[in-house]
Amino acid sequence: MNSEDLIASLSLDIQPVPRHALRRRLGLGLVAGGLVTLAVVGIWLGVRPDLMPAMHGFTFWLKWTYTISLAICATAAASRLARPDGRVGGWLWLMVLPVLGLAVIAGLEMAATPSAGWLAMWLGASWRVCSRNVFLLALPIFVGLLWSYRRLAPTQLALAGATAGMAAGAWGATLYCLHCPETSALFVLTWYTLGMLGAALVGRVLGPRLLRW
Amino acid sequence: MRMRHDDDRLRALMLAGLAGDGAAHAALLRALLTPLRSFFRRRLGGRDDDVEDLVQETLIAVHQRRATYDPARPLGAWVYAIARYKLIDRYRRSGRTTALDDLPELADEFAFDEASDARSDVDRLLDTIPEKQAAVLRATRLEGLSTAEAAERLGIGESDVKVSAHRGLKALAARVKDGWR
Repeated sequence: MNSEDLIASLSLDIQPVPRHALRRRLGLGLVAGGLVTLAVVGIWLGVRPDLMPAMHGFTFWLKWTYTISLAICATAAASRLARPDGRVGGWLWLMVLPVLGLAVIAGLEMAATPSAGWLAMWLGASWRVCSRNVFLLALPIFVGLLWSYRRLAPTQLALAGATAGMAAGAWGATLYCLHCPETSALFVLTWYTLGMLGAALVGRVLGPRLLRW
Repeated sequence: MRMRHDDDRLRALMLAGLAGDGAAHAALLRALLTPLRSFFRRRLGGRDDDVEDLVQETLIAVHQRRATYDPARPLGAWVYAIARYKLIDRYRRSGRTTALDDLPELADEFAFDEASDARSDVDRLLDTIPEKQAAVLRATRLEGLSTAEAAERLGIGESDVKVSAHRGLKALAARVKDGWR
């Protein structure tokens, strides 16, 4: 086909593009994936029975502050990387702050606990499944973000994949908080973060294969 | 400044296209043909079928992914990023990885920039050879038109274009050798 004909056919039926089409598309993928994850938490894992009283406590909000702030940074970075000329700017570096903050709190917790109790604090009751659960809960959200990216234009595929994986991991972890009764900062810092990094790693590997356009 | 001016003009077409104006959209895609052709031609070195393939792939991407354009940013950078991605994707598919390292620095080349020092050097050099040869070289080597397109534009035969280009290049080489400046 010659280029003139191509241009004519591309311009034949032009639909207006809404102003925030990119954000809408990402939001849609995120929410669709999030709803699946939420359903999985509700049906497979079960919401923790003491959720209401826990929401009046400190640790529940500490965990949410950690996972949600990471999720916001990663999502902002993912949305910038959805443009061909997009630069992540400082969003990925900003994620160091919640990690450092939680590490400081974990340190304070340990200082307030006799060293004999540290291991129990670190492993909690669910360390064997926590990272795996966070990782699995990230998958529907990751798929949602991949769907969003299909119509967008990432050009740094490995970085975009890793960032989408991290965002999915952090939002998955946020929803996992509805189930997980663990209370120590050291626990969250270790096992939650590991699950999120797993999701980011999978995104890093799959990005160059699945995000091509 | 020419570059500002061009980017603003194309950006206005882009915004009209985003608002649903098909004619503006077509005008934008048509205006991108020449810079895209010369961008790919310079990097693929004369494999014209590949050049036109990549031009078309880029136009389709510009069309399908126009929602990713941020109106607050220059249009040239956005189109360049797409063209560059398509080029890298082509290299990757053909298993070629060399020659990619120098791509990032080329970012400025695609700005619709006619005012760079290098360009004005070329212009001054072209002023020293016969007018017809200079016009042919401008059309075929700088703007990236094909022989047929250049012939049509300049109103001369295709063989005349080829001969003039050949003579023009020879004359330029002689000027450079003579220590032009």
